[in-house]
Amino acid sequence: MAMVLIFYFLTFESFLAFREVGIFDMLLGQKWHPAGDIFGMAPIIVGSVLITLVALFINILVGVPLAIYLSELAGPWSRELLKPSIELLAGVPSIVYGFLGVLVLVVYLEGSFDMLTGRSILAGAILLGIMFIPALTTICEDALRAVPKEFKEGSLALGATHWQTVRNVTLPAASSGIIAAVILNVGRIIGETMAALLVVGNVARLPSPVFDVFDRGAIFTSVIAGEMGEVAHGSMHYHALFAVGFVLLVIVTVINISADLVRAAIQKRFGGY
Amino acid sequence: MKKIRPAPLSSLVVALFLLSSSLYYLVVQPGYIPLVPFWEGGLLVCLVLITASALALRREEADGKAVVWPFGRLLPLAADLAYSLVVFLLIYSARVRPGLEIELLDLSAVFTYKIVLPFLVFLASFLAIKDSINLLYGYSTRGREVLVFSMVRLSAVFTLLLLGGIISVILFRGIGAISWEFLTSPHYRLGTEGGISTCIQGTFWLVMGAMLISAPLGIGAAIYLNEYSKHSGLKRVVTIAVGCLNGVPSVVYGLFGLAFLVATFGLSLLAGSIILGLMNLPTIILTSQEALKSVPNSLREGSVALGATRWQTIKKVVIPSAMPGVLTGLIIGVARAAGETAPIMWTAVTFSATPVHMFYGVVPDVTQPVNNLCYHLLNLIYFLGAWDVEEKAWGTALVLLALVLSINMVAILVRNHYRKKVVW
Repeated sequence: MAMVLIFYFLTFESFLAFREVGIFDMLLGQKWHPAGDIFGMAPIIVGSVLITLVALFINILVGVPLAIYLSELAGPWSRELLKPSIELLAGVPSIVYGFLGVLVLVVYLEGSFDMLTGRSILAGAILLGIMFIPALTTICEDALRAVPKEFKEGSLALGATHWQTVRNVTLPAASSGIIAAVILNVGRIIGETMAALLVVGNVARLPSPVFDVFDRGAIFTSVIAGEMGEVAHGSMHYHALFAVGFVLLVIVTVINISADLVRAAIQKRFGGY
Repeated sequence: MKKIRPAPLSSLVVALFLLSSSLYYLVVQPGYIPLVPFWEGGLLVCLVLITASALALRREEADGKAVVWPFGRLLPLAADLAYSLVVFLLIYSARVRPGLEIELLDLSAVFTYKIVLPFLVFLASFLAIKDSINLLYGYSTRGREVLVFSMVRLSAVFTLLLLGGIISVILFRGIGAISWEFLTSPHYRLGTEGGISTCIQGTFWLVMGAMLISAPLGIGAAIYLNEYSKHSGLKRVVTIAVGCLNGVPSVVYGLFGLAFLVATFGLSLLAGSIILGLMNLPTIILTSQEALKSVPNSLREGSVALGATRWQTIKKVVIPSAMPGVLTGLIIGVARAAGETAPIMWTAVTFSATPVHMFYGVVPDVTQPVNNLCYHLLNLIYFLGAWDVEEKAWGTALVLLALVLSINMVAILVRNHYRKKVVW
């Protein structure tokens, strides 16, 4: 019911913008320039893709090893310490991350790369990557733990080392859970608002070159949150922002559903856990 | 026990020194790095030791005969050594010197000496560690395991440092702003003076409102889904909807609230509570459902066998046994509602310093907007460059973090307590 309502209102409010600008012009337009009533989402989409890729890289780089550590290596003592810490880390409000991002990360990046401003896609990506480590780790650890003991013992009995067992037996067996967790995290990264809003710089302009993560950029959420406060109710800009929200909702919903499907598909094919 | 090879061991020690010192300078980034001569020497020592021990290992393996190492082993080793050599030469020939600036591919960043040099050394030392460990264990699988697992352990250390860092930075910077006055008086002069009492009130009522809406609905839905519904069709649809709702970004909830609720109720506590409640709904449904599922069927059957009706069974048997799980979900919901900004930005909050208006001193006026900790912090962040609000901002962040983390802590404790105690 609520889902239908949300979809209905977003479609309703964004319909006007889509009709006025045209769906293709809106999705692929190279310029986002509200003052001139030009609403092209390409800069926003490019920004979102960049930020997601870099954030995901950081996310996986720390999150998956951490899950392996928790499920395979950690003794009872370090587990007791780490597990609650990770859960607490997951609970830190995003605005607090954003605050730290502004006062610590942005200042740091500005100094180290001699940037005009540290507010950049890279800053957002680092912040979001770190922010969602706990989410990734928790699901991955559950997936790793669900692998039956017999699998591991069988591998160890064949003379494989612990690492060989983890790499060739445990990780493949848990792959469906891990991949689903990664896809879910893509959805989280794209949908996160406050932290991104404060550090990405909110300039909706195509970076040049396209992969320039050191440039200021904008993502779906930051455009909505940054500009919605100032627009006149019912104006074209207002509807365009709803259109951005609509695209975001569609993307995230597709991602979440595909995470479920991927998990089911891999489980069916390889009998994973 | 195999004999320990001294050469790779000592190169490992040198490489570890290089790694830690370059990492330190990568993080701290002073203009001048006093360790450069040591880095040059260290790189050279690693280079020589690794080459020597590789030759020694080869002779050892061959038993006097000359064998050719497999390509997959030789190539990475040669590449690593070549890289280290190049880095050494770059530093030695003063190609990488203070004042160096590299602009790459029109990127908006300039890579200067203070970041290029530590990075090059960091990479070289990492490769040297890899090779040293491989040589130390004679390229056995054991060496690989040691290498990978030590990296895995590092990720755990990193996480702990991160949590510790976040908490301690906010604690140390924020503690100075905290005083009785800060907590009990409203802010004035755009937040540069005064406190956050109105924000605390507003947060409290928003969370209360959200829980009043989401708790009965969420638990009710979970009970229905788990205990009553037989039509698998409807159940499937609801389950999918809950899953989707769970993934909807918080800013989209804000948009929805703006289009739907604000049009009806105006900018108000009520609109904000409904939005936060709606946002919490999936979490509460999912955790409650999980808790209900874990109640064994034998308990239900026992109750029914004694002649209890279905509702009596649910009320007297199922809900009490599922209570800890449900409670954990609710507490997590409270923490989430207290920490969210995006859904309420345009629906419920203003940067106001007037206290929440109360009827008879107990019931808040739900048609008025309130202030809120997160929103207050957001405004202070926007003011950062313009007015002197930094100290107040740290203080607000500390209060918010302490509030949310302590609520989460309670949830974790409740769960762990019952997990140990309840045995079916």
